[in-house]
Amino acid sequence: MSQDFKPRIVVFACNWCSYAALDLAGTSRMKYPPNFLVIRVMCSGRVDPQFILEAFRRGADGVLVAGCHPGDCHYIEGNIKALRRMTLLKRVLEEFGIEKERFRLEWISASEAEKFVRVANDMLEKIKPLGPLHIEEVHRHG
Amino acid sequence: MSEEPRIGVYICHCGVNIAGSVNIREVVEYIKNLPNVVEVRDYIFMCSAPGQEIIKEGIKKCNLNRVVVAACSPTMHEHTFRNVLSEADMNPYLLEMVNIREQCSWVHSDNKEAATTKAKLLIRMAVAKASLLEPLKEITFKVNKNVLIIGGGIAGLSAARDLAAKGFKVYLVERKPVIGGNAARLGRLAHTELRGIDVVKELSRQVTSNPNIQIHVDTELVNVDGSVGDFKVKLIKNPRYVNENCNLCGECVKVCPVEVPNEYEFGVSKRKAIYLPYKEAYPPIYTIDSENCTRCFECVKVCPTNAVNLAQRPEEIELRVGAIILAAGHEPYEPLTGEFGYGISSRIVTLFQLERVLDESGPTNGELKVDGVQPKNIVFITCVGSLSTTPNAYPYCSRMCCSSTIKNALIVKEKYPEANMYILHRDIRTYSRGDEQLYLKAGEALIRFARYREAPNVIVNPDGTINVRFFEETIQEEVSLPADLVVLSVGMKPPRDIDRVRTIVKVGCGPEGFLREAHLKLRPVEATTDGVYLAGTVTGPKNIIESIESGSAAASKASALLTKEEVKVEPLIAVVDEERCSGCSICIGICPYNAIRLKTQGNIRVAEVDPALCKGCGACAASCPTGAMQQFGFKDTQLKSQVLAALIE
Amino acid sequence: MDKPKIALYWCASCGGCEEAVVDLAEKILDVVNLVDIVFWPVAMDFKVEDVEKLPDGSITASFINGGIRLSEHEEMVKLLRRKSKLVIAYGACSSWGGIPGLANLYSREEILRYVYHEAPTVENPQKIQPQTETKAEEGVTLELPEFLPRLLPLDLVVDVDYYIPGCPPTPEVTWKAIETLLSGNLPAKGSVLGALDKSLCYDCPLNETKPEKVLIKDIKRPHEVIADPSKCLLTQGLTCLGPVTRGGCGALCIKAAMPCTGCFGPLDEVIDYGGKAISYFASIVDYTDEQEIERALGKILDPMGIFYRYSLPASRLRGKITVAEK
Repeated sequence: MSQDFKPRIVVFACNWCSYAALDLAGTSRMKYPPNFLVIRVMCSGRVDPQFILEAFRRGADGVLVAGCHPGDCHYIEGNIKALRRMTLLKRVLEEFGIEKERFRLEWISASEAEKFVRVANDMLEKIKPLGPLHIEEVHRHG
Repeated sequence: MSEEPRIGVYICHCGVNIAGSVNIREVVEYIKNLPNVVEVRDYIFMCSAPGQEIIKEGIKKCNLNRVVVAACSPTMHEHTFRNVLSEADMNPYLLEMVNIREQCSWVHSDNKEAATTKAKLLIRMAVAKASLLEPLKEITFKVNKNVLIIGGGIAGLSAARDLAAKGFKVYLVERKPVIGGNAARLGRLAHTELRGIDVVKELSRQVTSNPNIQIHVDTELVNVDGSVGDFKVKLIKNPRYVNENCNLCGECVKVCPVEVPNEYEFGVSKRKAIYLPYKEAYPPIYTIDSENCTRCFECVKVCPTNAVNLAQRPEEIELRVGAIILAAGHEPYEPLTGEFGYGISSRIVTLFQLERVLDESGPTNGELKVDGVQPKNIVFITCVGSLSTTPNAYPYCSRMCCSSTIKNALIVKEKYPEANMYILHRDIRTYSRGDEQLYLKAGEALIRFARYREAPNVIVNPDGTINVRFFEETIQEEVSLPADLVVLSVGMKPPRDIDRVRTIVKVGCGPEGFLREAHLKLRPVEATTDGVYLAGTVTGPKNIIESIESGSAAASKASALLTKEEVKVEPLIAVVDEERCSGCSICIGICPYNAIRLKTQGNIRVAEVDPALCKGCGACAASCPTGAMQQFGFKDTQLKSQVLAALIE
Repeated sequence: MDKPKIALYWCASCGGCEEAVVDLAEKILDVVNLVDIVFWPVAMDFKVEDVEKLPDGSITASFINGGIRLSEHEEMVKLLRRKSKLVIAYGACSSWGGIPGLANLYSREEILRYVYHEAPTVENPQKIQPQTETKAEEGVTLELPEFLPRLLPLDLVVDVDYYIPGCPPTPEVTWKAIETLLSGNLPAKGSVLGALDKSLCYDCPLNETKPEKVLIKDIKRPHEVIADPSKCLLTQGLTCLGPVTRGGCGALCIKAAMPCTGCFGPLDEVIDYGGKAISYFASIVDYTDEQEIERALGKILDPMGIFYRYSLPASRLRGKITVAEK
């Protein structure tokens, strides 16, 4: 596996908006960096902060949670629950020493393929100079 | 599952769509070495018949119990491959699909090495999740063939007529004492000799003559439980205090001591507390306005048929229906006191008040008089309450007011050729068929049009005369017009308590308060909640044609559901591990569909998910403090396995 | 027949867990009758050499409390592990790190610097700081244990068989755990003893007072409100962690109208206590506007302290990650 394949960013994308936007980026043949590994969920409200902490523990250099814009959630306000949790999680991540550039919560609607590409490039640009996450090797596997 | 996972991985080339960027050979070799992977095959088009055969063969030959398909987006072919599994006698939910086309080869075609690496990682993540997938049973509900229509205006009536014609039983519920809605109060309509009430009467006739339709007036929605195919509805029928023995003799009106403005005439005339909303109203029964009734019992005494019963109580009605159409209509915009002088002078009226006055069967028998005199100078102001003309106005265009204003101006000109009329407008939006001709006809009739951008200033002088001052955009000059009558063309707004109703039925709304359809273009008469449809002005301003059309459209959509025997729902819903559930109730407040209840049986106090209501968002699972609540297909262990597989070699 | 041997040892501990054993009151006599205590520094005069002399595996159970903060703790627990059949993490600190675990937000250097030099009440003109070795005037080399870079829970240093939760474990929980151990009917390795497999809400007398939907508009710190002792504290806006915390303590804090702080730790399915606590608590803060959410959650001044009070070293990230050294 290529060691240059860094940074590695885990993306939680909601089926109705963000995942669709990612598909649209594909059908529109847009280009963005290959560093993003997408985990599909039905709603950003499914994303438990534990998954995000687990991702960082295993060496993710960044985590992106992408959901529908407030008011547009297919399940009415799952994204708002995500917003509430991530608002608190962000503060705690900072205390854990995880730079704020490494974690983002973004609202990306099904038509906003361009926004995803912009967010992806921006996130990567900001994370690269930070280097890999300083997590101990032993934690990645233990 | 107790047995070891035996995973078959099927990688699609999709012609060159995937194979053009991803080195399939390399990926196949890599995937072969992953734990639990028993067979890896690739093919040019996995969704094709031969491709599907490869999978079915693999399932049988290799005794697979999980399948991973790496191809296009699951939104394209997940259900295709689920069917393949079913055909091979495997539970369709033991499939995990990986997107290596839209989200890999197509976006990394400039970097084949990266595309290949990413494909390997994505498939690795899918294999990890597949190892933890469980067989799931599809959930089916029987469809109830009855339908509830909320709102007895022209959209609701149109929907009722169409659905009843197809043989479905319709419950038409209206909270006012009469059906017909706002259209019944319009005077002569454009391009036809019919008045609003005539259109309503024809629709009402079609509806009341069909035994499949049960009409409940004075009835409001209280609660809706259940979901698509089987809604349990609670309604409350408010007392009317007058029954069908009423013969419309009107003796009660003579003795009633209470007089209030008649809202059905927009305040142009008064009514008593016991009243018939308007001539030709349906049902043709008087009604008592309990808010203003003083309970003097005089009407009871004089009624020759003993139709008045002041002891009548509210009645609860429970219904079971398979679909609900929400056609709750709109309300005209009510200008604030002082907005364009409204409420300051009786010479400033709304367009609806003018319609009532011009109607031959209206409160003034069609005569237009202001303070006993026919007005000579009449100024119409359009966009009142729309297009953010004033701070209190809504930001949208109400569509029908331009045509309506011009139509009424022409009616005035026809009756009173000496009338001197100005229509002050921002734009003229006479878009409907024949309306542009009305606009031209108005010009020929010397009705003058003047354009404003800043809201005109309506000045009521101490002697009661009125001047309308505005900056005319075409000639770029301040203009002051004397007016004997000012008519405000008010727009449409959502009904005042629509929030209560839409919360009960779980329909979202837009920023202005009109209800939101599932998709503006592709699903204009459906709500996002399955089984709920939207008709008429409840989703936004419409003219009469558009309202009736949308009622028919909603009926058509509803009947597509009602003709089915069963509805199938994907089983990717939430589920409680009752052994772990501690009865903390957190999930109950999280669920937007009220799908979770606390089950209390003796000592047991655990959460329970109603599979009929759960839509599978997973918010409860993430919020569950003990991990007892999980979502099938998206369990903590499954999602965590994807995280690990993404990051650990 | 020989009575089973037990050992008790304390690491980075406040002593509360030792007192908890003593709190068994009369029952301690039953304990003493049933077992042979071969090592208990706080109460009995055995030496380390006595333990070293025991055959490996001859101690039936060692109850270890406190987090692993010093090299001495590490050595002692490894010794006891060798000499014991069962090692039991007793109390929150050895189970998950406990309150001392919050020190993992700072590097060793930061801690020593503050404690010995920067703290307002410290007078240390010679800049003395603990060293692992120092030569005394008499020519003797004196040793101190090393202050480890981080505090670790017991199970990151030795193999742990069972956990007894609490800060400290209540006498009831302690006694139940001892009964389980003595019964010979041992549950699966890694289980938590003496407590429930349900959250505190299950046991809490105020659970039934919850309305159908539990939602909070205004978060309150305990000093900001005189809590109504007859209504669920969470619904009054207090940061009660009952829903996410293992039950079995008898809801002692709740009965004193204080919100649960989480000392009985997570339930089995939870992999990061703080993350889960954040997830459930934030979810019920009933605002939909971003700014209102920020404002409402801003009432929690110290999220680490609230949500990771006892469990930071056992969390997924263990502490501030730039702190760790090789």
